[in-house]
Amino acid sequence: MKFAIALLACAAALEAKTFYLTVAGLGGEPEYESRFIGWAKDLESTEKAGGIEGKVIALYGPAATKDNIKAAFRQIGSEATRNDALVFVLIGHGTWDGYDYKFNLPGSDITSFEISNLLDTFPGKALIVNTTSASGASLNQMEKPNRVIITATKSGTERNATVFARYWVEALRDPTADTDKNEVITALEAYRYAQQKTAQFYDSQKRIATEHPMMNDAGKGEGVRDPNPQKGEGRLAATFGLVRFGSAQKAAQNPAKQALLKRKQELEEQIDKLKYQKAAMDTTEYRRQLTALLTDLARVQADIDK
Amino acid sequence: MRTIWGFFVLSAAVGSAWGQGLSECQNARRHGRLAEAKACYQKLAGSRDPYLRAEGLWALRDFKGANEAFRAAVASQPDNAVYRVRWGRMFLDHAQGQDFSTAADLFREALKIDPKNGPALVGLALIAADNWEQKAAELAASALKSDPKLVEAQELLARMALEDNNPEKARQEADKALAMSPEALDAMAIRATIDWMEDRSDSPWMDRILKINPVYGEAYALAGHFFVINRRYEEGIRFYRKAIELNPDLWEARSELGVNLMRLGREDEARKLLTQCYENGYQSDATVNSLRLLDSYKNYETFRTPKTILRLNKKEAGVLRPYFQAELDRAIATYERKYHMKLNAPVQLEVYPNHEDFAVRTMGMPGLGALGVTFGHVVAMDSPSARPPGQFHWASTLWHEISHVFILSATNHRVPRWFTEGIAVHEETAVSPDWGDRLDPHAIKAIAEKKLLPIAELDRGFVHPSYPQQVIISYFQAGQICDYIVERWGSDRLLSMVKAFSGNKTTPEVIQQELGMRSEQFDTEFLAWLEKRTKTQVENFARWKQGAQQTAKALEAKKFDEALREGAAIRDLYPDYVEANSVYEMMADAYAALGNKTAAVAQLEKYAAVGGRNPAVLKKLAAWQSEMGHKAEAAAALAKVNYVYPLDEDLHRRLGALDLELGRNEEAVREFQAVVGGRPGDMAGAQYQLARAYLAARRKDEAREAVLDALEIAPGYKDAQRLLLELDGKD
Repeated sequence: MKFAIALLACAAALEAKTFYLTVAGLGGEPEYESRFIGWAKDLESTEKAGGIEGKVIALYGPAATKDNIKAAFRQIGSEATRNDALVFVLIGHGTWDGYDYKFNLPGSDITSFEISNLLDTFPGKALIVNTTSASGASLNQMEKPNRVIITATKSGTERNATVFARYWVEALRDPTADTDKNEVITALEAYRYAQQKTAQFYDSQKRIATEHPMMNDAGKGEGVRDPNPQKGEGRLAATFGLVRFGSAQKAAQNPAKQALLKRKQELEEQIDKLKYQKAAMDTTEYRRQLTALLTDLARVQADIDK
Repeated sequence: MRTIWGFFVLSAAVGSAWGQGLSECQNARRHGRLAEAKACYQKLAGSRDPYLRAEGLWALRDFKGANEAFRAAVASQPDNAVYRVRWGRMFLDHAQGQDFSTAADLFREALKIDPKNGPALVGLALIAADNWEQKAAELAASALKSDPKLVEAQELLARMALEDNNPEKARQEADKALAMSPEALDAMAIRATIDWMEDRSDSPWMDRILKINPVYGEAYALAGHFFVINRRYEEGIRFYRKAIELNPDLWEARSELGVNLMRLGREDEARKLLTQCYENGYQSDATVNSLRLLDSYKNYETFRTPKTILRLNKKEAGVLRPYFQAELDRAIATYERKYHMKLNAPVQLEVYPNHEDFAVRTMGMPGLGALGVTFGHVVAMDSPSARPPGQFHWASTLWHEISHVFILSATNHRVPRWFTEGIAVHEETAVSPDWGDRLDPHAIKAIAEKKLLPIAELDRGFVHPSYPQQVIISYFQAGQICDYIVERWGSDRLLSMVKAFSGNKTTPEVIQQELGMRSEQFDTEFLAWLEKRTKTQVENFARWKQGAQQTAKALEAKKFDEALREGAAIRDLYPDYVEANSVYEMMADAYAALGNKTAAVAQLEKYAAVGGRNPAVLKKLAAWQSEMGHKAEAAAALAKVNYVYPLDEDLHRRLGALDLELGRNEEAVREFQAVVGGRPGDMAGAQYQLARAYLAARRKDEAREAVLDALEIAPGYKDAQRLLLELDGKD
């Protein structure tokens, strides 16, 4: 429940702005070109309707140049504060020559080093979702505290075109991605959703998986495939809300509901504590206590929602 | 069952006193004086002559040493074909990894040196025979042409004839071998096997064998091979046991015994025997892979009912179990009624998500065995996850295999291959016309080219195919024969034939007795029926193919009216074609592009009715039907996907939701149970949906448990909280 509590805390953070910048790079072939642009457009519309205050910028087709990316960062940097968040999504082809990762764009490509420098101009926390081929090579070069880095591949040697972007877009549209049902899809939830769907894609097609998504939000070290917040992995990502639906945040602003919210938090903490004791408890007794707490919580929530 | 040793070495090739020593060793071994043979080979193993040293080390099962010695022998005499042949035979005996390929290379090298080298041709024939290739007979015949006294080649011809279920020809071929050598032990073993397979207990042949070689367990092992390939596993196991009782060092026979015990589910003894083989240096692919498979069983869960044992991989058991258990129960109940019998033991169904694991089960077996295989009461099959979605209809495969369990049981395993396969194929479409396989282009070609086999020889098409598609064609033909019999004489006549075969009668005898005609007459009348039935497809196949290509081109060019015109003109010239890019799909896409969803749906409904089973296409159909408000039809389309690729969370969610809308609450429960069983990312959501389905089905206690499971994962899940309060309110 640590993370549910953290999410309540992040409610305030959600009141700050989130800047969404999506870039669909060069497709090379018409099929990829239209696929990348399609995903970028879908993402743009999902983010615009995502219930989080902020700004959405999408660059695709001839507009997806290095200069325009720099200009977008300048614009965002001029508006953002340290309480704000940035979601930067790269869709397309990437390459790695053993030293540098490059995101393929019309005109000059952009390297992971250059991207990292641009990210440094943003004062708040940032989520970078690099969905391109070879994107794993960009992870170490972009990692820093207060940043969540997600890549579609585990290294620069996974060079085939990826499908991760498709499932990332889907994650933000599919309520089932909200696994804790708090009406906010976080970066961690979206990552898990897209990672699972990507694996299922290769499995069901009986194809050897040529992409293995990774995440790093510790600011150092290697990425992990299955981030476990209990081990300190994915904690920043778990508080990074991407889209919101429902009425989760309205109650937090209503003074009349504060007592109920306090009671709700107490119950959540008790449930959290009970779950940690589960392994050492008699099953029937655990279930009895859990049922009582969950029923109380449901009643409190019903009162909050009145 | 390969002949392990290959006794007939040309001692002349060695041409020395040492060569005589090799003959003495072989003679002692051949006559069962094993201690003497061992001492003799030990002496050879110390020889300075690398070839003799190789023979000695090989006989002592020091394959590494023998390999090095053979290499030295070949280096010393590069033009000696015999050395290469013997080296190749050593690889056949070793039988691991690429050994057969290496052996084949050595035999071919020998033939380059000596193009008429009979033993080299025999070596290639044995490899072909191991792969159930008809060309083995041609190679053996060539070997005999090169050397008319090559007994091993003649014995191979006898063996192949018996594998083709032609005992008369096998008898003749074996007698030819005996005329070449009165000590042709494998020829005698073939004669003994024919007698045993005909349930004659007074066969004189084994006594004759034992007088020549009192420890010739290979004869029993050869019989074991034939009983196994004729699906008489229990008897096969008894013969393998006799083989190793007579000579405990027959590792191949011990391994076969282990493999066949494993096939029948007796895994403890199987593991013990296979481990013995492995630890004694017999590490053939079959041995090693079977041990690996036994180890992998820890990843499986077993579910038992009084009539069934279902073994599923833990990863997918949660999704597959309800569907497999339901079909297993339904198939058993149906066949019990249909065949008027009950099985005397539970049916064990094993479902493998990794095709390689399933393939271990079929190693050494003739026929296609591509999807499922039956060993008595044990059935092994591919899981839907073993292949790309839509590639096979698992339920159809399951019914096919369970039919074998009944037919084998009803006939006490005395049934020709064509008949049990034919009934099994027939049963697939008897469950539902859209199940089973459709008339495919290979079958159309075979009918047009009159390549179908006479019924009396149809088993040959399964065991030793003479062209690549013949096994598949033989399945098709056997199924059509059973359809024809049912159509003309009624289904009871098939049952009478089952009974007749159990009396150990041949196909011509059963045809005469039950259908009142000679098998040649049956062939004539059946072919006339089949040709009439497939006339449109056979006569118009070329036109259809051209039209289908034109339709595809027009569709690609977005000339939708043209695509529809051409598609409509040719679709029913070959209506059975529902594979990729079927005319139904192309016409549906064209109609959809023109905004005529109703016509598009009609095309795909026809596709589904004929047997189209691509999950993506069926899901598209269901989505369109849902949009049009045809909920029941949409649910029916999605239900078809469950029989093809149930490992699809989205499918179960959609079907579950439709079932709930349609008030089919128990069906909805099953679908949402499948979602939960698949351990989805959104487990809380899945448990909540399941709780709703339980509530709709008036299973309140289970609904409460499911909603609590959802809330345990996501305590703040508002929908689940509301449902919990609703359930509390109803208490």
